[in-house]
Amino acid sequence: MIARRTIVQGSLAGSIVAVLAGLAAFANWYPKPDPDEQATGWRRIGWPFPRDAFPAGRGWRRDGTEVYVRPKLGFCGNCDTGVVDDAEVDGKSDIDLLDTNFVPVAPGKRIQITDLGGRTRLYRIKKDGRERLAQAIAVSYRCDLIVAVVIGPVDDEAVAKAARRFLETNTVQVWLNAQLEGK
Amino acid sequence: MKHQALWIGFILAGIAGMAHAQQQKVGAPPESSNMKLVGWSDLQARSAYQPTIHKQGDRFVAYIGHHGGTDDVPMPVNPLTGKPEPNGTSIVDVTDPAHPKYLRHIPGVPGTYEAGGAQMVRVCDGTALPKGDKSAVYMLRTFGGEAHEIWNVADPANPTLLTRLGGLKDTHKSWWECDTGIAYLVSGAPDWRTRRMTQIYDLSDPAHPVKIRDFGLPGQEPGATGQVPTELHGPISTGPQGNRVYFGYGTNKGGVIQIVDREKLLKGPASPTPDNLRAPEVGRLLMSAWNGAHTTFPMLKMPIAEFANDKEGKTRDIVMIVDEAILNECNEARQMIWFADVSIEARPTMISSWTVPEASGHFCERGGRFGSHSSNESMAPVFYKKIALIAWFNAGVRAIDVRDPFHPKEIGYFIPAITDKTDKRCVKIDGKDRCKVAIQTNNVETDERGYVYIVDRANTGMHILELGGEARQVAGLK
Repeated sequence: MIARRTIVQGSLAGSIVAVLAGLAAFANWYPKPDPDEQATGWRRIGWPFPRDAFPAGRGWRRDGTEVYVRPKLGFCGNCDTGVVDDAEVDGKSDIDLLDTNFVPVAPGKRIQITDLGGRTRLYRIKKDGRERLAQAIAVSYRCDLIVAVVIGPVDDEAVAKAARRFLETNTVQVWLNAQLEGK
Repeated sequence: MKHQALWIGFILAGIAGMAHAQQQKVGAPPESSNMKLVGWSDLQARSAYQPTIHKQGDRFVAYIGHHGGTDDVPMPVNPLTGKPEPNGTSIVDVTDPAHPKYLRHIPGVPGTYEAGGAQMVRVCDGTALPKGDKSAVYMLRTFGGEAHEIWNVADPANPTLLTRLGGLKDTHKSWWECDTGIAYLVSGAPDWRTRRMTQIYDLSDPAHPVKIRDFGLPGQEPGATGQVPTELHGPISTGPQGNRVYFGYGTNKGGVIQIVDREKLLKGPASPTPDNLRAPEVGRLLMSAWNGAHTTFPMLKMPIAEFANDKEGKTRDIVMIVDEAILNECNEARQMIWFADVSIEARPTMISSWTVPEASGHFCERGGRFGSHSSNESMAPVFYKKIALIAWFNAGVRAIDVRDPFHPKEIGYFIPAITDKTDKRCVKIDGKDRCKVAIQTNNVETDERGYVYIVDRANTGMHILELGGEARQVAGLK
């Protein structure tokens, strides 16, 4: 005959094991928080744009700034020179996803994200009924284009710099490299 | 259980072996159906883009535009001069197709792949052009992305440069009406918001080009803001008789087919305002975001047997649209051919499509690009509205019976053998290049005798083919 105390202890131990197993499964099911995201304060958000010719990208938000990034395989106009003029930023970045009637604020300039070079340009757009600023970035790796748009007070150099630094973190780069290899 | 695992292992090994068996090997024979190799030129192992076959007196001469060189061989040696030359234009006498004779290589712009070369070429006789020198034969070619050039190739072994239209940021596949001299030059005008648009010139006197206007989709013009429409790939004009120009925009994405009234285009106000650019358009067909329009080949007033007893619509105006695959090993949506009924120009309608079945050759695993690129553009009666020849990269050339464009049907194919000069094509795996060698049939043209000329992007040269079996019967060849 098993003692009542033994049954209670056994039940308790079983419950603890079950809870721990559940927690472990839960932890596996939900991805671990990205240390770079935690450190920088950027939080992952959904890709809000309708389906188009390219696979969906990823988005992040911090304070009043949003960043959306994705690769466009084989879409670089010139595989040898890369992105060298503003027409390419106007035409090939995702700025038109934010507002098809985007208006450039100024001529673009060169930009480097990690070891990839290209151009960036500032635009005025209308989003959710109000006028906002957006920065489009297009850099290339051979014939592949990597594009990003940053929405927020990007005329503030500190904001633009923080977004650029985030694009260079492992959070973005590891994912981007996997996309470039078609994984 | 153990037996099941063994069977699964055998099946997987079999599948892997089958895929491996499809890889091309040097020395292996070509693959074909109803098409036969007649002759071959190595084109000095230069990456080839556009062949144009021109009858000059009693001779047939092939003019072949080249992409730039490769990283490994940026400037192949020209055996005729003994010197390394940047890829440009090959001129080959194909009067005897079994024994093509390489006559001359005209160097292009130094640079590798699409950064160099002279990929496009068209030819008109001086006797056909309204103000041409009757003794001349004119070759229009691109000069890298920098310029368009016109050469006198009356003596194809000794061409002379006549004219250069420069100052561009890109070029591509132009169209030249030999009976009027009007040329639709695919150019990158520096101030336009797109890499490729149309510069229309009167080249009826090739020594004295006259600019008519710049043209593109509204939104591409200088000073525009907002979304930039897809860049141009190439136009095809039906001349003053047909009074239509069919423009194809896009390569493998967001294709646009624009049908334009030629007379309004040529005589309308030249200033590139949105209204002026919109004025000559009579119809537009937007394709899926997954497909582009590399070639828009008109086949007008086609009798459709199925509709013979119908009161209306017995004949249809058809445009065959050819997408361009641009990524290796199927890293994009399938690029193929489409047929649009443009009889009602304001409401063009897609009626059919056709693709090479991938499983018929495991083409996604062979290496390089798999998908369509271009069609023959000759309108000589031997094939026109009967058979379309389509360049399909690693699936070679495909002969399609288009007599019923609602139900296109393959009636032949030819996939050339690779050689030791065939260049590799790579994809990135774990940060490293993984390369395979496969044929990359880039472009195709036909001549009035019924020969088919295919050229290879991966340096395997030009193959001259003839049709056999059912394909020969459809063409009406003996």
